[in-house]
Amino acid sequence: MTTKDKYKKVAYYPGCALEGSGHSYNRSTKAVGKALGLDLVEVKNWNCCGAMEVKNIDPKIQTYLSSRVMSTAANEMDMDVVMAPCNGCYHNLKKAEYDLANDKESADVVDRLSKKAGHKTYESGQVETIHALDWIRESIGEEGLAERVKNSLSGIKVANYYGCMYTRPRHIFPEKDQGPGSESTSKPHFMDDLLAAAGAENVDFPLKTACCGGAHTLSDSDTSTKLVLNILKAAKLSGADVIATECPTCHSGLEMHQIRAEKTLGEKVDIKILYFTQLLGMALGLKARKVGVHENISDSIRFLKEKGLG
Amino acid sequence: MPIHEKSLIRPENLTTHDELTLDGVDVSGHWSTFIETRVVNDYNENLQDEIAALPGGEHIHRCWQCGSCTNACTVYAINEDFNPRYWIYLIRMGYESELLRDKDIIWQCVSCNKCTYACPRDVFPEGVMKATAHWLEKKGHTEKSPSMHFDEVFTEQIVKTGKIEESRTIRRFFSRTGQALAQPWMIEMVKRMLRGLPIGMLTRMGLATLVAPKTNDWWQASAAIQDYIDEQHEKQVQALSLAELVETAKQDVAA
Repeated sequence: MTTKDKYKKVAYYPGCALEGSGHSYNRSTKAVGKALGLDLVEVKNWNCCGAMEVKNIDPKIQTYLSSRVMSTAANEMDMDVVMAPCNGCYHNLKKAEYDLANDKESADVVDRLSKKAGHKTYESGQVETIHALDWIRESIGEEGLAERVKNSLSGIKVANYYGCMYTRPRHIFPEKDQGPGSESTSKPHFMDDLLAAAGAENVDFPLKTACCGGAHTLSDSDTSTKLVLNILKAAKLSGADVIATECPTCHSGLEMHQIRAEKTLGEKVDIKILYFTQLLGMALGLKARKVGVHENISDSIRFLKEKGLG
Repeated sequence: MPIHEKSLIRPENLTTHDELTLDGVDVSGHWSTFIETRVVNDYNENLQDEIAALPGGEHIHRCWQCGSCTNACTVYAINEDFNPRYWIYLIRMGYESELLRDKDIIWQCVSCNKCTYACPRDVFPEGVMKATAHWLEKKGHTEKSPSMHFDEVFTEQIVKTGKIEESRTIRRFFSRTGQALAQPWMIEMVKRMLRGLPIGMLTRMGLATLVAPKTNDWWQASAAIQDYIDEQHEKQVQALSLAELVETAKQDVAA
């Protein structure tokens, strides 16, 4: 089996947000997978990864919750790779993986809880957790993607926004920062690479890994609005038409606080917000509806029509 | 990059005299401003241990005060009173009363982990911020922050069902924090969300509100997590001497 094949059939962990506010990310990820001939097998009877909220209450409970997902994929489905498109889920599975390998106390708690809960304990290393970006890059690659493009994204200026959870903290991502070909934690580029392969023009965007304040999007809305406004303005100043996102929390945070900034601060920034999978899907010839553009709060349908997409 | 310093001279500690004579010398004008003597004698020698006993605070002792955390901090950039390096210093020195001056903003850490990324000593300042916010609430120094309410509403739902249904979590959060859900920007957002949504999608969202999604056969996991939460709570009550705190409070009330 070549490396590429390893990633052609993966366990798919959508997570809670992709069944709610991030539904268009779910829809577009599946649609892109289908268009590229990739096989997504949803993790059976999955649970929440613990998100930031459970981690705040107790990090070890979050480690347990994430480990249960990986245990199901490894022990009940016999899968080697778990793909999570949500930055939060991806981050938490990676964090659990790290803690289980390096912190005996966490491993003991997970073992105890798993036994009580009546399932096999996840052992670190049983699965590899990857992001949707890794998934497309590893299974198809930029060249493969370029060959399959039907509607080039040419003429669309994109600011690629990666957020916090995809690169920080560094120690839970041992495969990053490994030189050429690997992802960078300070200047990530996988989304840039894929969208460039689909014809998009990436702008030089300085706030790729800035924080949108997603942790307090409702509990400290004023802070979140300020942080989001920074991101929107920086993207606009960089010359972008679209901010491409890869996280449902960032995405809905940008959309919500774009409106909140307009309503509470009178600051209107006209920029479209789309999941990178929506852009890729349309480049692969899918209709806007197929990739859930109508489910986004930020309205980009007319803009996409003008650019000859969807 | 600059290391951000924190001035310990506060306006209320400055005394200005328009006319002042000291030992027969007129010191009015430029020399009339004095910093009042400050004596700190209310150290909490257990402060660092108490923070370290809470999840996230374990590695606070490693800090060597380089200030990389504050320098990298997302919240510091919009509020200069938000200074993780300074708080870690206060905790390590046991300056509890000084720490309490900032008690109402510490919970505002957005967990972006820029500090953890920058920290050369693996202090995990993000965790320390969480531990400190928990400590403030557990010791009764602050009301429960909106963020803690959100974390609790969220965690309760996961312990119960294994999954999150967002609109339910949001509604509970708003009701628990006594906020009106129908804020103008929220209404505008829902309006824009509904525009262009097909009927099928609306039905699906409506159903999710009525029948919360859940992980099947979750009860065993749920019980295991709840046991663990209770067990940790007991440990923290001991580490922070909370039982004694309650006892002292009772005696104060009685007296």
